[in-house]
Amino acid sequence: MTTTNPTGPLGQPATSVGWTPDFDDAPRRSLLPRPSLSDSVFKSVAVTAGATTVGIMLAVGLFLSFRASSALQVSGFSFLVEQQWSPETQVFGIASILFGTITIALIAMCVAVPLALGTALLISEIAQGQLRKTLITLVDLMAAVPSVVFGLWGVFFLQANVIPVASWISTYFGWIPFFQVTDASGQVLTEASAFTSSAFIAGIVVGLMVVPTQTSVMREAFSQAPNGEREAAFALGSTRWGMIRSVVLPFGRGGIIGGTMLGLGRALGETIAVYMIISPIFTINWQVLKTGSNSVSALIALRYGESSEFGLSALMAAGLVLFLITLMVNFTASSIVARSRSGADSEA
Amino acid sequence: MLIDTLTPGTAPTKTTTVIPSSEGIEIGPRRRVRSVRLDDRFDLIGAGVAGIAVGTLLFGWFTPLSGGVGWTIVSFLSFITFYAVLVGMKADRQEIKDRVVSVLLASAGVILFGALVFVVAYTLVRGQDALPHLNFFIENMELAGPLDPLSAGGILHAVLGTLIQISIALAITIPLGILTALFLNEIGGRFAKFVRTIADAMTALPSIVAGLFVYSAIIVLITHQRSGFAAAMAITVMMLPIVIRASDIVLRLVAGNLREAAYALGATRWRTVWHVVLPTARPGLATAVILGTARGIGETSPVLLTSGVTAVTNLNPFSGPMISLPLQVFDFVKSPEPNMIARGFGTAAVLILLVLALFAVARLIGGRGPGELSHGQQRRVLEASARDVRRITIAADRRQPVAAVPEPDPAPGLPSTPERPAPSKEESSS
Amino acid sequence: MTRKNYWARAAQTLTAAFVVALSVATVVPAQAVTYDPITGTGSTWSQNALDQWRKNVAANYGMTVNYSGVGSSAGRRDFAAGSVDYAVSEIPFQSKPEDGSAPEVPTRGFAYMPIVAGGSSFMYNLKIGGVRVSNLRLSGETITKIFTGVITKWNDPIIATDNPGLTMPDKGIVPVVRSDGSGSTAQFTLWMSKQHPALWNSYCASVGKATPCGLTSQYPLTGNMKGQSGSSGVAGYVSQDYGEGAITYVEYSYALESGYPVAKVLNASGYYVEPTAPSVAVALMQAQINTTPGPDYLTQILDGVYNSTDPRTYPLSSYSYMIVPTEVVAGGVFTAKKGATLGAFASYMLCEGQQQAEALGYSPLPMNLVLAGFDQIGRIPGAAPAPDPNACNNPTFKPGDSPSNNQLALTAPQPAECDKVGANQCTTGTGGSLAETPISGAGTGGTASNAVAGSADPATAAAAGAAGAAAGVTASYDENGALISGTGISGSAVASPFTLASSAWGSGQSTMLFAAVLLLAAALLPPLIWPRLKRTPAKVVAK
Repeated sequence: MTTTNPTGPLGQPATSVGWTPDFDDAPRRSLLPRPSLSDSVFKSVAVTAGATTVGIMLAVGLFLSFRASSALQVSGFSFLVEQQWSPETQVFGIASILFGTITIALIAMCVAVPLALGTALLISEIAQGQLRKTLITLVDLMAAVPSVVFGLWGVFFLQANVIPVASWISTYFGWIPFFQVTDASGQVLTEASAFTSSAFIAGIVVGLMVVPTQTSVMREAFSQAPNGEREAAFALGSTRWGMIRSVVLPFGRGGIIGGTMLGLGRALGETIAVYMIISPIFTINWQVLKTGSNSVSALIALRYGESSEFGLSALMAAGLVLFLITLMVNFTASSIVARSRSGADSEA
Repeated sequence: MLIDTLTPGTAPTKTTTVIPSSEGIEIGPRRRVRSVRLDDRFDLIGAGVAGIAVGTLLFGWFTPLSGGVGWTIVSFLSFITFYAVLVGMKADRQEIKDRVVSVLLASAGVILFGALVFVVAYTLVRGQDALPHLNFFIENMELAGPLDPLSAGGILHAVLGTLIQISIALAITIPLGILTALFLNEIGGRFAKFVRTIADAMTALPSIVAGLFVYSAIIVLITHQRSGFAAAMAITVMMLPIVIRASDIVLRLVAGNLREAAYALGATRWRTVWHVVLPTARPGLATAVILGTARGIGETSPVLLTSGVTAVTNLNPFSGPMISLPLQVFDFVKSPEPNMIARGFGTAAVLILLVLALFAVARLIGGRGPGELSHGQQRRVLEASARDVRRITIAADRRQPVAAVPEPDPAPGLPSTPERPAPSKEESSS
Repeated sequence: MTRKNYWARAAQTLTAAFVVALSVATVVPAQAVTYDPITGTGSTWSQNALDQWRKNVAANYGMTVNYSGVGSSAGRRDFAAGSVDYAVSEIPFQSKPEDGSAPEVPTRGFAYMPIVAGGSSFMYNLKIGGVRVSNLRLSGETITKIFTGVITKWNDPIIATDNPGLTMPDKGIVPVVRSDGSGSTAQFTLWMSKQHPALWNSYCASVGKATPCGLTSQYPLTGNMKGQSGSSGVAGYVSQDYGEGAITYVEYSYALESGYPVAKVLNASGYYVEPTAPSVAVALMQAQINTTPGPDYLTQILDGVYNSTDPRTYPLSSYSYMIVPTEVVAGGVFTAKKGATLGAFASYMLCEGQQQAEALGYSPLPMNLVLAGFDQIGRIPGAAPAPDPNACNNPTFKPGDSPSNNQLALTAPQPAECDKVGANQCTTGTGGSLAETPISGAGTGGTASNAVAGSADPATAAAAGAAGAAAGVTASYDENGALISGTGISGSAVASPFTLASSAWGSGQSTMLFAAVLLLAAALLPPLIWPRLKRTPAKVVAK
C-alpha cells in the first residue's frame, strides 16, 4: 500500500514509499500524478486568477505609492507635521487631518466597544433559544446597513439632538481639557452652534456603524469558549458573572482585541458619514466637543475634484498613510484573533 | 449545548455495550433548568419604577438639573443602585454582582439594538413622504426641476444605475474571487500564501482610496470621463478582497475527508473541485458573494469619485455619468429644499430595503453550514441515490443473472454532514 | 444559485430598460433632431438655474443635459482634464493665480460664455425674542469684519449702527463658509480684497497666507467658522435650528429656496439693497466686459459694480460663465455632435431660459452679453448658428433694442426711503422669508412695499417708527434671544432650543446636591439597615 497524504495527494510527489516491491523485473510505477487535461487547465486558470488578483491589488498599491512619492518628495518630512493643506502652494501636511481621523476613530471606539462587548456577552451568555438567533441575525444585518444611512441619521437627527449632551458634558466635565469648549481667547462657549459639526458627533455615528462588526467578532470568540470550562466554573459554585469573568473573558480576549481593532480599521476609513457631519478645519483641535475636525477620507472626498495633478498626488499620499495605518491595525487584529484560537474564521 | 460534550469515549473493550432501546419510553418535555423567580421580576420592576421616580423628582422638583439626557443618566444610575440594594436584601455580594452585570449587559443590548433599529426606522419613516408616490419608482429626475413637488420625478435611474454597476462588478468579482479562493485552497503553495497575504492586506484599503485610485488611474488617464464602468471598477476593487476572503473561509470549511474520498475514487483535482468542493460550499459561497454585494451596493465613497451625477437614465456604462442609489441619496440631501430631502430619505429607504432583501436571500441560501442540506435537498439526494441503487442492481442483474443480489443499502454513501471543519491547507500539507 | 440570481437581475434590468424606453417614448414627442447627451460639472452658485434649464430642455426638446454641482474649481479642473463637455464657473481659469498656486491651463481650446447673473447674498438665521429677523442690513465693512473674525457677536455696535430698528441679541456670529473650492468664495474674497483690503490682508496674514492676497477659491477657516461643501451645504447649515446665529454667502436663489432672509447690503450711494433681479441688473450695467479677443474674452471686471453710484445697485453682483470647448480633440469626450446639443442648449439658455432667471432668484443677462454669447456659440464645433436676437424672448431687451440697454434696469424700482442709511429701517422681509420683522431697537421702521412704487409714505413710516421707538428703547436680549430687560417684542415662541445649565457652581448647587443625596438616602437607607438589624436573630434561628 502506498501512503496517502491526508488532503493534497495529487499536489506533491510522494517522497517515501512504505512498501518496496521485491521483484525487479517489473517496471517501477511512477507515483507522480499525471495531470489530466482538465486538471492542468483548472490549475492554470486558478493560478491566472490568483495572479490577476495580485496584479490588481499590486497595481493599486504601486500606483498609489508611485503617485504619492512625487508629493512626498516635495514635502519631505513636513508632510507629517504640517497642519495646512494647500498642495497648490506646496504647503501641505497631514498632521491636523490625521489627528482628526484618529480622534474620530477613538471616540467611535469609546462608543462602540462597551456596547459591542455588552451585547456580545448578552448574546453568547444570557440570551437563549430563539431570541439569541434573532439577535445574531439582527447584528449581522446591521453590519450591512449602508453608511450613507448612518450619515443621514447623524445629520438630520443626531446633530440637533446631541447638542444638549455635548453642552452638558462640557459644562460638568469642562475641567478635563478634551471636553472644554472655548474660543481662541479661552472664553467658554455655551452656544448651540459651538457644538455642531464636531468630532464628537462624527465619532458617535461612526461608532454605531462599527458596533455590529465588533459585536459579531466578539460573540464568535465568546461562543467558542469551551463548555467544559464553563461547566467547571458553574460546578465550583460560580455565578454567571463569575463564570464570564473567569472563563469567557479570558478565553475571548483575543476576540475582544481583534474585534475592536477590526472596528477601528473601519472607523479610520469611513468617509461619507464623516464628510456629511464635520466642518473641515486644518488645525489640530483638541476640544472634541467643539465644532471642526477633519479626516483623511473626508479630505479626499472634498478635494479630489478640484485638485491638480500634484494635488491628486498629495491626496494619494494622504490616502496611502491612511491605508498603511488601517493595514497595521488590521494585521495586528488578525494576528491577535488567530493566535487566540478563536474567531479566526468569523470575519466575513 | 452544555450536554453534548458528554459524548462517551468509545474505548474498544471486550465487553459489549448494550444500548438500551429507547422505544416505548415516553420522552416528556424538557425540564427548564433555569427559571426566573417571581420576586426577581418584582426587583426589576420595582427598581425601574424607583429609578424613574428619583430621576423625575430630582429633575422636576428639587434641583435645577434639566435636559432629557441628564434625566436618563440619573434615572438609569438610580435604577442600578436600587436594583443592587433590592437584590442585596436577599443575596450575597457575588449574586449582587451577577445580577447587576446581567442588567448592565441587557441594557447594552437594548441601547445598541434600540439605536440601530432607530437609525433604520428613522430613515424609513422620513422616507414615507416620497415612497407613496408611484412616480418615485418609475420615473427619473430628468423632468423634475429644483422646485418640483414630490409627485414629479423619481429614482428609477439610480436603481438601474446601481443594478448595472453592481452587475458589472459581480461579473468580475464572482469568477475572479471564487477562482482565487479555489487557488488558495486547492492548489496552494508559496505563491498562494503571498496571494492570501495581499488579499488580506487589501481588505484594509479604505473605500475612498479605491475610488481615488480608479479616478486617477482610469478616469484621468484613460477614459477621461466619469462613467458607470469606472464606478463598477471602484466597487470591484473594494469588493474583490472581501469576496476572496469570505470564500476562502468557506472553502476552508469543506471537510477534508470529502476531498479525500473523491481522490480515493480516482477523481481528478478538477472533478473533485467541480463535483465535491463547490457543491458543498455553494451556500457559503453564495452568502459570501451576497454579503459582498450588499457592501458594494451600500458604499458611497467609491462611486462619489467615479460615477458622476446625472438626473437621467443612462443604460450605457461606458459613456456619460451614471448615478447609483447611495450617491443619489447623498446628492438629494445636500439640497436645502425640503422636497429634495424627502426624496433623499425615500431613496435611502429603497436602498435599505434592497440591502435587507439581499441579506434575507443570503440567509435563506446560506443559513446552513457547508454540506448541510435542507429537507428538500436531502429528499432529492435520497431519491437520486435510490435511483442509482436500482440502476446498479439492474445492471448487476443483467451481468450476473445467477449471482445473489446484494441487499440494497437504503442510505448510500453520499456526503454526510461533516463533523468538524477541515484543517487548513497549510497545516495539512506540511 | 448565484448564476440564477445574476440572470434574474439581468432580466430585471432589461425589463426596466424596456419600461423606461416606453415611458420616454410616450412622454417626449417625436423629435426631428436627436441630440447626443452632454455632461458638465461646476458651480453650485448657478446650479439652480441650470437644473431648471436642464429640466426644460429635456421636456421640450428631448435634450439630455447632465449637470453636477461640484464647485467651480472642480468644474474648471474637470474641463481642463477633458472629462466633461462643458463647465460652469464664476471666475475664469486662473492662469496667474495670486495665491502662488499652480496656473490652470486647459489643453484644449475654450471660450467663456456668460449664462446668468445674480447676487452673492448673505443668508442668515437670526431670531430676536423668538421672532425671526428678516430685515437685517449690513454695510460692506461689517460683512468683511464678520467674515474675517473681527466681530464675533451679533450685538456688536457696528451691526447695531447698521440696524437701528433691531436690538441685536448677545449671540455669537457663526460665519458659514464654503469648504470646497468655490467660485462664490472667489467672488466674495475678490470683493473683500478690492473694497476692504486692509481687513482682508490682515486676515490673510493671520492664517499664514502671503499678503497682499487677492481672491482665493478656498476660504481659510478660523475661529468659530463652519465649513460646508457646496452652496446647498452652507444654505442647509444656516437653515437648521442649530444654525441660529449663522450667516453665509450664497446665491440669492438658495435663500429663496430654503425660505430664509438675506441681508441688505449698503451700496455706494447709501442705500441698503436686496439682491433682487432688478438691483443686480442695474449693478451689472457698470461691469466692464473684457472685449479684447483672446483667452480672457468676455471676462468681467467688477470694480465699477462695487462702487456704482446708482442707488438701486446691489454691490456684490456678478455673472457666471459656461466654459465651452472650441475644438474637438481626437479621442476626447467632446464631439461635434455633442457640440450641436451644447449649442442648442446655450441658445435656449441665453434667450428663453432667461425668462425664468428672476423667479429662480437670478437676474437675466443683458443684451450685450447675450450678443457676445451668441458669438461664442458660433465657436462651438458642430453648433447651429445662434438665433436672431430679435426672436430671442429675453426679458432684458425687446426686438430692436440697443445692446447697451437693459429693460430690467430701466424699470427697476428705486429703493425705499427706509432703506437709506439712518434711523429708519424697513421692516419688510427679504429673500425667502417675507414676514415682517417688528421694530425692537431704537430706530424707526417703514415698509418697503409701498416704497417700491417709488413713493414712501412718510406718515406711515414715521408712525411705525415712533411705535418702534417707544417699544424698543430699553429692550435687550441675551444669547438665546430671551428678553433680559425692557419691553421688547413678545414673540409667539421664545427661542431657547437648547437650554444650558449654568456652569457656575455656587452655594445653590451645593444645596441642591445635598438635597439630592438626602433624597437618595431616605429611599435607600431603610432597606439597607433593616436586614442588618434583623440578621443576628435570624442566624440564631437558622442554627
